[in-house]
Formats: sequence, structure tokens, C-alpha cells
Amino acid sequence: MGRVRAASDIGGTFTDLVYFELDDETGEVRSVATEKAHTTPPDFERGVIDAFVKADVQLDNVSYFAHGTTVVINALTERRGVKTGLITTKGFRDVLEIARGNRPDFFNLRYQKPAPFVPRYLRCEVTERMTYTGEVVTPLIVDGVDDIVQAFKAEDVEAIAVCLLHAYANPMHEAAVVARVKDLWPDIAVVASHQISREWREYERTNTTVASAYVQPIAETYLARLEERLADNSFDGSFYIMQSNGGIDTVEATKRTPISIVESGPASGVLGAAALGEYLGIRNIIAFDIGGTTAKCSLIDDGQVAITSQYMIERSRQSAGYPIITPVVDIVEIGNGGGSIGWVDEHGKMHVGPQSAGAQPGPVAYGLGGTEPTTTDANLMMKRINPDYFVGGEIKADMPAVEAAMARLGAQLGLSAQEAARGIVRIANNNMINALKLVSINRGYDPRDFTMVAFGGGGAMHATALAAELNIPRVIIPAHSAVFSAWGMLMSDLRRDYIRTQPGRLDRLRAPLVSATFMEMEKEAHSAFVEEGIAADDIRLERYLALRYQGQEHSVTIPVTSGAVRENDIDIILDDFRTSYEKQYTYRLDNDVEVVNFKVTAFAAVDRPSPAKIPPSTDIESARSGTRVVDFDTLGVMDTSIFSRDLLGAGDQIDGPAVIEEAGSTTVVFPGQQVSVDDYGNLHITIKGSLDVLSS
Amino acid sequence: MSSAAKAETPFFDPITVEVIQSSLSSITDEMFATMRRTAMSSIIYEVLDFGVALFDAKGELASSGSGIPGFIGMLQPGVAAVQEKFPASAISDGDIFMLNIPHRGGVSHLNDVVLIMPLCHERRIVGWLANKAHWVDLGGAYPGGISPEATEIYQEGLQLPCIKVIEGGDLNESVLDMILANSRLPETTEGDFWAGVASMRAGRARFLSLLEKYGEEAVCFAMDDYITLGEQIARASMRDLPNGEFYAEERLEDGQTIRVTITIDEERFIVDLRGNPEQAKTSLNSSRDATFVDCQMIFKAITSPDTFGNAGSFRPITLLVDEGSLFAATYPSAMGIYYEASMLLFDLLWKALAPAMPERLTAGHYASICGTFMGGPHPETGDVHGIVEPQLGGWGASQDSDGINALYTGYHGDTFNVPVEITEQRNGLMVDRLALSEAPGGEGRYRGGKGIELDYRILNDDWWITMAYVRSEAGPWGLEGGLEGSTNYIVLDRASGEQTRYTSCTAIPLYKDDVVKVYTANGGGFGSPSDRPADDVRRDIRDGYVTAERARAVYAVDV
Repeated sequence: MGRVRAASDIGGTFTDLVYFELDDETGEVRSVATEKAHTTPPDFERGVIDAFVKADVQLDNVSYFAHGTTVVINALTERRGVKTGLITTKGFRDVLEIARGNRPDFFNLRYQKPAPFVPRYLRCEVTERMTYTGEVVTPLIVDGVDDIVQAFKAEDVEAIAVCLLHAYANPMHEAAVVARVKDLWPDIAVVASHQISREWREYERTNTTVASAYVQPIAETYLARLEERLADNSFDGSFYIMQSNGGIDTVEATKRTPISIVESGPASGVLGAAALGEYLGIRNIIAFDIGGTTAKCSLIDDGQVAITSQYMIERSRQSAGYPIITPVVDIVEIGNGGGSIGWVDEHGKMHVGPQSAGAQPGPVAYGLGGTEPTTTDANLMMKRINPDYFVGGEIKADMPAVEAAMARLGAQLGLSAQEAARGIVRIANNNMINALKLVSINRGYDPRDFTMVAFGGGGAMHATALAAELNIPRVIIPAHSAVFSAWGMLMSDLRRDYIRTQPGRLDRLRAPLVSATFMEMEKEAHSAFVEEGIAADDIRLERYLALRYQGQEHSVTIPVTSGAVRENDIDIILDDFRTSYEKQYTYRLDNDVEVVNFKVTAFAAVDRPSPAKIPPSTDIESARSGTRVVDFDTLGVMDTSIFSRDLLGAGDQIDGPAVIEEAGSTTVVFPGQQVSVDDYGNLHITIKGSLDVLSS
Repeated sequence: MSSAAKAETPFFDPITVEVIQSSLSSITDEMFATMRRTAMSSIIYEVLDFGVALFDAKGELASSGSGIPGFIGMLQPGVAAVQEKFPASAISDGDIFMLNIPHRGGVSHLNDVVLIMPLCHERRIVGWLANKAHWVDLGGAYPGGISPEATEIYQEGLQLPCIKVIEGGDLNESVLDMILANSRLPETTEGDFWAGVASMRAGRARFLSLLEKYGEEAVCFAMDDYITLGEQIARASMRDLPNGEFYAEERLEDGQTIRVTITIDEERFIVDLRGNPEQAKTSLNSSRDATFVDCQMIFKAITSPDTFGNAGSFRPITLLVDEGSLFAATYPSAMGIYYEASMLLFDLLWKALAPAMPERLTAGHYASICGTFMGGPHPETGDVHGIVEPQLGGWGASQDSDGINALYTGYHGDTFNVPVEITEQRNGLMVDRLALSEAPGGEGRYRGGKGIELDYRILNDDWWITMAYVRSEAGPWGLEGGLEGSTNYIVLDRASGEQTRYTSCTAIPLYKDDVVKVYTANGGGFGSPSDRPADDVRRDIRDGYVTAERARAVYAVDV
């Protein structure tokens, strides 16, 4: 057996393990396999090890292990963090509770505001004050920390967050408070805002710091135990944790500010799409993932994964939620997946999701007691999914039950069972189209310039219809598309995003000043990696400026070339900004342009596996497993060739209508679309610019 | 080939209709997001003092994007004004109209500028888009346009009487030049104008692609059906309302009394405001259209707060009001502080209904927009900046929960306050303190939420402040024996040591190191304080929401 690279992801029910056996000589992936073990709360590390044992993978043979975990997000949403105290600037302890004062559920006069993570009696103030330029107005009275620590000890506080006004501009006072806390109470978990974020907005930064402190002891314990269990099993490879920003990072760095893994996991598919694009020479990608309960999409512009630091948890139409301003891959997620339920409201309107049949009881076709028709059931009714090869042939689809459920749904609207099934698919598709528009058209991108990379259990099933609707010219269904996210984890680099708010008019900030800020940030990023033993050659730095017209709130991010910034570079930056802004919003202004944030992204390359090539095409007929009558909605019901994906060879061409089946997913090819199989087994589907695929 | 060609029958299947309707709301969502991202002033992108909407060919509201409930119903009169003034033959594709006179389709005050765009298909008008936003300065006697002292609308800024600013896609530069010449903040004004245009152009493009895909007939059918659905939802939820007559009155600070009788039966929601005081000589007046918006908001809150709102949602409402009264002031009355007149009324409607439907309505909240307008040179750059900000306050307690601390009014919605760190950089003043109110008031079995205390320190001379708050004498009303809340006001704490309390002022000069201290009210309590469990009172003491002394006096709890 060759060396193994493994990735595991902890889900609500199962802990998934995906492992790739590499050819020791070529570094190519020789085989891919998956295993599941039960998730084992509260000792999640047990489930991780169980999966390796079940898969019969010897840990001493694993050279590389990337891990995605929901331990942080679960501790936050289930309120299982530790008792946390907050130290802040005098006069501002209520910022955490006042929040931003907004009420998204705006017709409702019985709105409930989300409660702060730290109650008022544990929010304490120190005398100090800075300006937005980082100048000290009132020096810190550091002795004030002593009484606070006393009080926190008396209340059995387990973690301390420190967030002072304008600390993004000058962290000196925060650092002094942390030092004093550590002197007085060496064992306590303490984190200051500047260690997590150098961006302005005191409520957002305070809440993020508090959230990080609240989960820190829990994340630290979990990671330490997992390291221990891996060591017990003779693991001596590299071990990384998947970060929310789409990169990986070391366990040590993650323990310090665990809030950086709040969205560990969902981002990895997007990374996989970017990595695949790099292989195939495709720079503009819409990554699209359909799972059991949700669909997620994200846009990759010129090879760059979109990152946002305006992430929210528990935000909904009913609740303001909580901001977490750590860099997170910008994903739009909606409650529409294979298990989403089709239903009719009291006013005779049909909807799909966000309720999902989940894994239990699952779609009606599972025969496990589900009675509400789901998107998967609708795809079965339309014969897009093979009822005789359902879930890779593991389950015999209960079609009489599916038909009965569709008939019940249809009866509420005067539709037949078949029409109801088409209705579910059409509405689900429309929901997904709206999500895809949010990441593309609404941000000024033209879908015609993009390739859709679709994956997850349901991605391949819906992608071609959605691409046709949005005029996306090409869809790629990657090899092993059902476990593509895990592949993404193995294709990640170490990534750290450094963002610093330093507002000022671009024409007044002199080029040397812009240079100096970038150089300082780059030095910090570079030396952090070097100190951790990373070779300088493997480090890559990118810089950006977030700019806006003076007075605006929203900024547009522009890449900036490396090296010293000269005066004429400033003119280039200004012009780039105005052009980019106009592209997005249709107009150009002569108004002054303001810098909001400096951004430096630091990557450290890790050794990646190469995807394996598949054998060349022989006879396409050998891959054809038969024909069946498939419902293509408005395009008609027609005899359709069915292919087995595992038997396709490089260079094979297929004309739609066709269905291509594999164990974890099904690719639906509409009439007029063409498929070609590349050397790595990825399906490239050419979409005709047709609006008619979905319309009625 | 578009599917319109295939459509042979006027019937559309329910799935297609549903898909079009959800696309309508994504169009207005996108218009909203575009405006927010491109606007130049925080009153738009943080306070969300703007709304966008999509109408059918008749001008009936089909879908809206708004962060504020009040803005849902505020754009329809503007479309009606365009339809009244311009025959269809005088309207072409790509036109954008502009208006702001509150008595004539503008609804609110001159600062709220409405942009309206026809949606044309094969030379027919098939719908309308509108965008209305608070522009920070359109000239007039007072910086920011708004002052409680204005007596006629002529003093409040430039009036835009339903004119074309863009004709067939081309800007009428003379109109824009004139507007900018009248504004104290022309750069911001121009930016906000283009933000509105960008938002409507995005909506138009999306609407046209919907037409292309489904055809005009299907889209129009779906809009019509959506409005009918709005009405069905409203009528269905009316079945759960108690029928009867509900009365409330309130004595104003000037000694006059305002009153309302609301009659609810199976079919109708009648708001009778006849017999209220005459319109004021000041700018504390609201238009009939603004008054109707108040009725819409309270009606929606008690019927179907969890669903969308469109023209159909409000069909059961009947409004009876005297022309020339405070709630239907006639031209050329000043209207700058319309929002406080509207707020007085909204609170009065709420007060009339709350005792009969405690599961839907809380005790009284701080009930004042607390609009605070300040300006002056930035100490660093010398540029003159203007702050136009509402303030946070306390909400009333309910039959099963304490009131919410520090939230914007019921008139607001997804409105965000401006962070201290941003306001200091942008506006060049300093915030010494932002805290929950220490004032007593609002105690009860469930206590009212806390207002705020916010101290703005002025850093250089030549600044000014204008403000007008209501609920400054009597605090928010309690329910079922809950105590009245505290009040809204400011204290000017001069560098000289002199302190003055104001509830209303116009362009008072401010100098270096003066501190403007804003105080907003705690909400009213629900139920008798003596019924509050001692443990809850002790927790309040621990958290500093009540002093030990006040707890002893009001709750009879000792620590």
C-alpha cells in the first residue's frame, strides 16, 4: 500500500473520512475511498479514529491528514462555551448588548433581540482611550485590571476576551491588558481583539473576540485530545485544520484563535473547485455544491476564492444574529438540497424547503417512514435518478410510496403526481438560481464568463439545467464529485489573511506610507510562517486594498502589485478602482477615493497530490448500460441513453439527452448538450445558450 | 425563442406563477442591495432610510425591498402622481421621474426624494419601479433641511414637483445641476442620486429578462395574482382579530390631545382620526398618505407580520381623517418633522390595540425617532460633515418577557446604528460613552427595555445641532399595572460647565469640548412590579439594570 493522504470532516450524524492512496513514485492519486463512522459527542476525536479503524487505514501509513470540524460552530450555536468575561474601554461595556439596534423582522412588534454571550456583570471596563489613528488620548491605567481579575476569579470565569476601542489602529493597550491578565492568572484562556481582527466596528470586533474566548478552552481540549489519539496510533505525518478562509493551518495556530475555524468544512469544496481550475487552466468558476439539506455556491474570479469578513451566525429574517469578522469563504447557502420537502402553504402556494427530511426518515423513496415528497423523490419520478440503482444500488426505491406522496401534493393544486414532481424540481431550481444570481449577476459578474463546477450528492443532477437558465456556457462535473469537498481539503495551502483598517484618502496617503503599511504586514505574515519552520520559498504573499468613494460604506477590493508602491502606482490603483466600480454599478464618479482596509494574504504551499489519469476511450458502447424514458420537463419525455461513469474513458463524447450514473451521484444531460470526458475523468458539458430548458 | 410565443391560453400553471413571484421579490431585493452598496450617506446605508418597489401597470405595489416597514407603503402615491401628471404618450422607456413634495405624492418630507421609472415592453407600460431615499441636504433655510421651526414648506428645501430627470436614458443635466447647486453637500447628493439610478437600472434589467423568459402575459398575471394573494393573507388573518371598537388618546406636550377610534369587524379595519387638532404652524405635521402608512404598519403587525406586504395586504384598511388636521396637513404646511407626527400616531394606534391583543403587541416603547442632526468641520480635514441619525431606545415589556434594550423604533427595521469607531473617523467628533440608560422607570412583572445614554464630544468650533424628540414629558405607557418608562431628551453640557436640557432645538452652535448627552427612554412595564419574582430582581441588581435602592422602593426586594 502506498502512502495515504486523508481528510476527515465531522458532521452532525456521521464523521466522514476520505482517503487517497498515492503512487509513491509519481505522487499521483491511485485510488480514492470513503468511510463513515458515527459522530461521537462529546468526545468527537473518537469518531475520527473510529473511521480510520473501520477503513482499515493504518495511521502510521498516513503522511498527511487534514481535518474539518464543527466543534467551534456547535459550541456557539448550542451555547456550550465556557463562562466568559469581557474587558473593554471605559464607557463602552454595553456595546456588546446594544449591538447595532436592528430588527430584521420589521413588521413584528414582538421581536426578540439575540442575547449577548457575556452578561452585563461580567463586562468590565478599564480606563484608556485611543483615537482612530491610534494616538493615545487617555493612557491605560493597567492596575485597573487587577480588580477585574479578582472579580472574574470569584465568579469562576473560564476565559477572558479583551476588546478596546480603536485597538485595530493601535493594539498597545490591549497587549498590556493581556500581559497583566497573564501575570495575575497564568492559566486562564485570554484573547485580545487585535489577535483576531484589525478591522474597525467595535460591536463586531467585540462579539468576535468574545465568541473566540467562549470556545477557546473547548477547541483547545478537543484538538489536544485528537493529537494525542493520533500519536497513540503512531501517526507521524502532517496534521492540519481546515480554516474558514479556505486554507488550512497548523493545530498550534488554530488553538490560539479557534474562531478561525468557525466555518471549517463548507469552504473546502470551493477550494477544490479552484484547485481543479488551476489544473485545467480555468480561472473563472462558479462552485456549486448540493447536499442533503442545502445548496451552496461561491464565485471564483480569476482564480481568486472570494473571502468575506462579514460572516454572521444565526442571522435570519427573524433575527439579527451575531457577527463574526474572521475571514470566511464567501458562500451563499440556501435551504434546498436533495432532502428538501415540497409543500403547499395555506394560500395554495407551493414551496420547496427549507425543511428537510434529513437522513432520518429521509426521502419517501428510502421507505423509512418519510411521507413528505422531497427533491430526490421528484428526480426519481422523472426517472432522472434510476429507481433500480438508488443510492448506488443500496436501497430499493419505494416508488409506489413516492407516487402516492406526489399525488397527494399535486391534489392540493389540481396537478397530477408527475406535474407535482416537475413542480418541485422547477421551484427548487428557481431557488438555486436566485442563490447563484446573488454570487454572480448581483455582484456585477456575467455568468457567460464562468464555468460551473458542480459537486456534492445532488450537484450533477441539477447543474446542467441551472447553467442553461443562467447562460453559463460550460459545466464540469469533477471525478468523485460526491466526495469532492474532501479532495479540496487535500488541495489547500496554508492560508492566513491579514486585514488592517487604516482609513484615509488615497491621494493624501503618500505612496511611501502605503508601501510601509504593506511591508509591515507582509513582514509579520512572513516571519510567522518562517518561525513555524516553513521554507521561505514556499511562502507567497498577495496584497489588496479595499477602496470606496469617500462617504460610502461598501468597499471594492483591488489587487495591488508587490514591491515598493510609487506615486504613479497610486494613479493606477485609482483607475483600477474606478473601472472595477463602474463594472459593478454602472457609473463612475470624480469624487475622492478612500482607503478602508489593507489586506495581505499569505500562503504557504504544501505538497499536493496529482489527480490520476483515467484510461483512454475504447468503445463508448461498453459504458452504455441501457436506455430509459426520462422526463425533461418542458423539453419532453424521451428515450435516454444511460451510461456508467466508471466505464467512461478519456476522450469519450456523449450527446444529450443522456444520464451518467455513478455510486454517489447522477449527471443529467439535456437534449442539445454535449459531454466530453477529459484525461482525469472530469465531465465537461457544453451548454447551449438556451433559456428554454426550464421555462414553461 | 421565448416561451411567450408558446403561451396560448391565459391560464398559467401554479408552478410558473410561483417562480415568477419569487423572482419579483428577488428583483426588489437586488435593487435594495445595490442602493445600499452604492449610497454615499450613512442615513441610507446604515439607517436604511430608503425603500425600493416594483408596481404593476396600474401602479399597485407588487413587491418591495425595504429594511423599514414604513417604507413599504410609501412609494405608491408617487407612482400615482406621475400617472396623473403625464399621459402615457409622454412617457418613454428609460425615463426617470423625480418628486418630493409630501402633499403631492412625496408622502414624507422634502429630504425623501422619490425616483420613478416606467417599465416598458413593446411600447406599453407594463409596470413601474420606484426608489425613495433620504438625501442629506436639498437646501432650504436650515442645514439638513429639517427644523422644528419651519412654518412653510418653502423653508425646507428645493421642491421637486414630479419632473423628468432622465429622458429616455439620457440625463437632463440642467435638472441635476440645479439640484446640486441647491445642496450644501453636492458630492454626497450626486452620489446618492446615481446610487438610486443604479438600483433602478439593475431592477429594470432583471425585470426585462423575466419578461423575455415568461412573456408579458404571464408576468402581469403573476403580479396581479401576487397582489390578490396579499389580500387573501390579510383577510384570512383578520379572522383571528377581536372585533370591536378600540379607543386611545394622548395628551401632547403642547397641551393638545390626539385621539383615535379603531373599529375592527370581519371585513374592515377602520381608523377614525376625525376631530384631531388642526395642522401645526411648525413642521410637526404629517400628510394623509403618511398617516395611511401608519395604519398599514400597525395593521400588518397584528395580522401577518411574517409575510410579505403589497397593495393587497392593506385593502381592508379604511382611513377617516380631516383635511387640514395634524394627520392630513395641506399644502404649503411645513413637514420636516413628519416622522415624529407619524410616530405619535403609530404609538397611539398601538396603545389603542395593545390591551386587546397582548400576544401581538408590547407595552409602549420609547416612541420617538430621536432624529439628531449635527454638523461642522472635521478637525482633521476641515471638510464639513453632517450627521443625520435616529437614536436607539427601550421597548415595552410584554405579557411574557422583559422589554428589549436599545433597539430602533417600531417605525424602523433592519436599521443599523453607526459604530463609534466609524463615526469618530468620518464625522470628526468623539463619543465619550455609549451605555444603557441608568434612569428608573418601566418596572413591572416584566420590565421595560432600557434606553441609551450617548455622549458626543465636539472637537472643534463651528459645529451646530438640530433635534426634536417627542415623549419627553410623559414616558412610554405601561400595561396591566406596569410602570411608565422614562423620557427622551438631550443635555448640552458646555465646556463652560453650563448644562441645558432640550427636547427640541434648531442649529444651536457648538464649540470645542461641548458634550451633547443624548438620553432615550426606557419602555413601559407589563404587570405589577410587586409580581416580579425576587430572583429576577436580584439578577437585575447584579447586572446593574436596577439599583438596590430603587429595587427596595418599587419591588420591595432587599438584597
